[in-house]
Amino acid sequence: MSKQSGAVNRKRGLSDNTKGMVKLTALRVIVYAILIFLSFLCLFFFYLMIINASRTHADLQKGFTLLPGGNFIQNLVNAWNDASINIPRGMLNSLIIALATAVLTTYFSALTAYGIHAYDFRGKKLVFTFILAVMMIPSQVSAVGFVQLMNKMGLHDSYIPLIVPGIAAPVVFFYMKQYMESVLPLDLVAAARVDGSGEFRTFNTIVLPLLKPAIAVQMIFSFVSSWNNYFIPALLLDKPEKKTVPIMIAQLRSADYSKFDMGKVFMFILLAILPVMIVYIILSKSIIKGITAGSVKG
Amino acid sequence: MKKLIVILLAAVMLLSIVGCAGQGGTQPAAEQGKVFNIYAWNEEFKGFFEKYYTVPEGVTVNWIINPSDNGVYQQKLDEALLNQANASADEKIDMFLAEADYIGKYVDSEYTMDVTSFGFKNADTMYDYTIKAASDSNGVCKGVSFQCCPAAVIYRKSIAKDVLGTDVPEEVQAQIDTWEKFDAVAAQAKEKGYYMTASFAETFRAFSNNCTMPWVDKDNKLQFDPQITAWMDQTEKYIANGYTLTAGVWDAEKTNQMFKDGKTMCFFGPAWYYNFCMTNAQDKENGCVGDWCIVKGPQAYFWGGTWLLAATGSDNTDMLKDIFETFTTNEDVCSKLVENENQYPNNTKVVEKYAKDESYGNTAILDGQNDIAVFAELAKDIKWENHTNYDQLLNEGLQNKLQEFYKGSVDKETAMKNFYQYVKETYATITVPEN
Amino acid sequence: MEKQIRRKDGSLKSVSYAKWGFIFIAPFFLVYIVFTLIPQFLTLYNSFFENYRDGLKQIGPNFVGLDNYKELFSPDGNGTILVLRYTLNTLIMWLLGAIPQFVIAMLLAIFFTSYRLKIKGQGFFKSVIYMPNLIMAAAFSMLFFTLFDMTGPIHYVLVENGIIDASFDFFSNRVTVRSLIALMNFLMWFGNTTIVLMAGIMGIDQSLFESATIDGANPVQVFFRVTFPLLMPIFVYCLITAMIGGIQMYDVPQVLTKGNGSPNGLSKTLVMYLNSYFGPSKNYGMAGALSVYIFVITGSLGFFVYKRLSAPYKDSARKHRRRKGDVI
Repeated sequence: MSKQSGAVNRKRGLSDNTKGMVKLTALRVIVYAILIFLSFLCLFFFYLMIINASRTHADLQKGFTLLPGGNFIQNLVNAWNDASINIPRGMLNSLIIALATAVLTTYFSALTAYGIHAYDFRGKKLVFTFILAVMMIPSQVSAVGFVQLMNKMGLHDSYIPLIVPGIAAPVVFFYMKQYMESVLPLDLVAAARVDGSGEFRTFNTIVLPLLKPAIAVQMIFSFVSSWNNYFIPALLLDKPEKKTVPIMIAQLRSADYSKFDMGKVFMFILLAILPVMIVYIILSKSIIKGITAGSVKG
Repeated sequence: MKKLIVILLAAVMLLSIVGCAGQGGTQPAAEQGKVFNIYAWNEEFKGFFEKYYTVPEGVTVNWIINPSDNGVYQQKLDEALLNQANASADEKIDMFLAEADYIGKYVDSEYTMDVTSFGFKNADTMYDYTIKAASDSNGVCKGVSFQCCPAAVIYRKSIAKDVLGTDVPEEVQAQIDTWEKFDAVAAQAKEKGYYMTASFAETFRAFSNNCTMPWVDKDNKLQFDPQITAWMDQTEKYIANGYTLTAGVWDAEKTNQMFKDGKTMCFFGPAWYYNFCMTNAQDKENGCVGDWCIVKGPQAYFWGGTWLLAATGSDNTDMLKDIFETFTTNEDVCSKLVENENQYPNNTKVVEKYAKDESYGNTAILDGQNDIAVFAELAKDIKWENHTNYDQLLNEGLQNKLQEFYKGSVDKETAMKNFYQYVKETYATITVPEN
Repeated sequence: MEKQIRRKDGSLKSVSYAKWGFIFIAPFFLVYIVFTLIPQFLTLYNSFFENYRDGLKQIGPNFVGLDNYKELFSPDGNGTILVLRYTLNTLIMWLLGAIPQFVIAMLLAIFFTSYRLKIKGQGFFKSVIYMPNLIMAAAFSMLFFTLFDMTGPIHYVLVENGIIDASFDFFSNRVTVRSLIALMNFLMWFGNTTIVLMAGIMGIDQSLFESATIDGANPVQVFFRVTFPLLMPIFVYCLITAMIGGIQMYDVPQVLTKGNGSPNGLSKTLVMYLNSYFGPSKNYGMAGALSVYIFVITGSLGFFVYKRLSAPYKDSARKHRRRKGDVI
């Protein structure tokens, strides 16, 4: 931050326009340098994954290299054809759960946040404080009790316990509430009311579009965390055709010695990133779009 | 919105009612069930089962396979067993798999069934320790193992030749058949610039399998067997003298020692160790296939093994008996396990056949030595005594906490106190020495 | 002036619209109670009981009052109160990663949204910096392990150049192991924070920047007087959720140190400690007490941050925005 503000301060002292341009170019160079360095760090690990996914199990045991092996296609074929797991099925399962969770989480969190942000009712402060408080409870705490309860409710091997709890996501709610505080002008709501719009319609047709960037951001996050969730699904799902990607990866990792193949494991980890990547790219576009569409306000 | 919630709640309630209704299921006494449920953590046994066992007509076999990562397998198995009495006949577990490290937990419980109750008889050809491992404290046997895992010292011939002047198994064995001699050879190896072993924990199982008392006494107080303290003394010396490395048994630093340019003379492991842990030695460019032989070493011991346990409440007892027999007494199947699957079967008769077979020799990694003959001798001396449910995690914990001492991050006293704390956290029932 | 007319309007209407507030928050609470509150309540309840397993045998639950809490705060054989050590570890490792995370994320968010800089290839950079967050934490940690292990390339290079001793182990040194964990947390989360802050900045009304600039404010003033105060709610969100995530740190140190929290428990986090009670003994009593403690720590830190940062912002933000009460 200091670099930038320093550059900017110095710029202010100079009335000469061309000198300002020089400073701006210098600033750009610094910014690009930082961005390239960080991108390198981030990409490096993907490079490692690809390298590892292209090496045989025996090669991987030998240790580490920076050069790819020649086993990429073979690992892909092996992973895809593994008898104990069904990768396309697992991906589909994970996709259903993660998408449903992402949609429910963002919609209902926005709805709850709007309920508190836009309306005055008794106990509103208390409700807000309560949600903030439960947000602080570590999720691992209730995991075991949750699984026992779900089994008692007959929801073993069901996706309901993996999807529906997303409706009550304190963290996403908190974000939506904070976002509304900083961007949602309430006179817009009042205007809609004057036009005779019902409360639900106002929320769905006027408020939601304004929240697009926030919704896209939280959809990405909840999709990713649901996609990568291992512990709870592993405890709830038994049937092979119900299993999700992280469970299958764990299964590959605990395979017996005759089938154990780290090349396959890395390949699957790599494959598992692709759908998340795609969802991310699609949604990050809608963050930008949301901005331009949301220019009504003000 | 309201509608959705109402539907949701209704669905939840309905499901819970259905769940409760299932609990009323009764089970026929003699009639055999149509569904056979097996719990396992990987597909190893499933493969053998599908190849060598013919499932009776009309019976569906369900494999419930859960990875062992994060303890998920045992967690789920436990939940299912605790719920066994309430589950309907077709949902009950009939058989489950367990490893040596935690078999006691299940054998010593009401959730496993006496094998004689359904007419299975342990055969003379089975290794005694495999029966003991599957028997509770009253000697009631609850299951069988389809394999036997005697473990040996696997040494590099070229290094043995350099250190001892010989690489002939009998002569090498004569020089390391006690721990005193083993230590002396370690010193010789060091002088020549070699390591005796490549991990501080390499010899642990050879000691811990020969304990004369369990980890806890009758009052559930933690106690150290002389074998364990002997291992601790030996390792401390080995680290101080540079006879071994501070790496753990599974670490890359250790397995890298198996390459051609490795400087380590001895590794400790059973037959499955070749394929699972010695891929570096089998590497085409940097490996050293054929430079290995196995001998008994100072003490006989075993490592690993998978048991099949009969779950209480199973309604497929005929099939249980049948499966147990197929994988222990059926010589044809046991021979196939050796020939096709590289298994060491739990059948002395079949093992003898291969041990005596002059034409049999291992060239995949050894120099053509008949390793079955060596393992067969070893298997006779394996003991299953003084094991507790706590072994796996206490052994692991002791190694992990002491490793910090060997690496120099803490002193020995702190390491031991950290171990006591670990014991307290892991097993609420065990009392640890006061300060 | 408009404001006042609306206020009258709003205060009249607020009575009739109150029920909609309840309707909108109802699904959240119904689901919360069924799926989360009951298990959480069980946790609290358990903390007053002796409740564990010995093999498959269940011991308890027997009521023991505050014994579990007493046990939690009693020193171990080395005279250390472990729960405090693990709290400190967790906070240190979180801060080590979070400080650079917030500084960099804030900078990047400004860069990306700056109309003067006009960064090219934004789509690329934004995707790339978020990528580490897509890998499962355990897999990411596995990669780091192979890099810094005794047989890893970094160890090799540093030994070759005489920077470290051959026996140096990154995972047995307090400073290096904590720094590595912090570095991983940083890499995994700075992109996430950048995106959140960026979305926040982009949500701010552009005309405010324009009018500030016309009024003669320089970019630094614009940032501190306009952007930052308006971004404050989102910033507070980031800070608090990052803190909650930090206190719940588990996968990264667990995989990197193989669950040991080496050296001497100095990289062991609170949740790693919690997990040791969920092991074979299923010690729900102790785990319950520890959970309550973690909740108290997170809650008090969280509320402190929230109160400290939200209160001053409200005054400055009022200048720029109509209060919600004004309208409805």
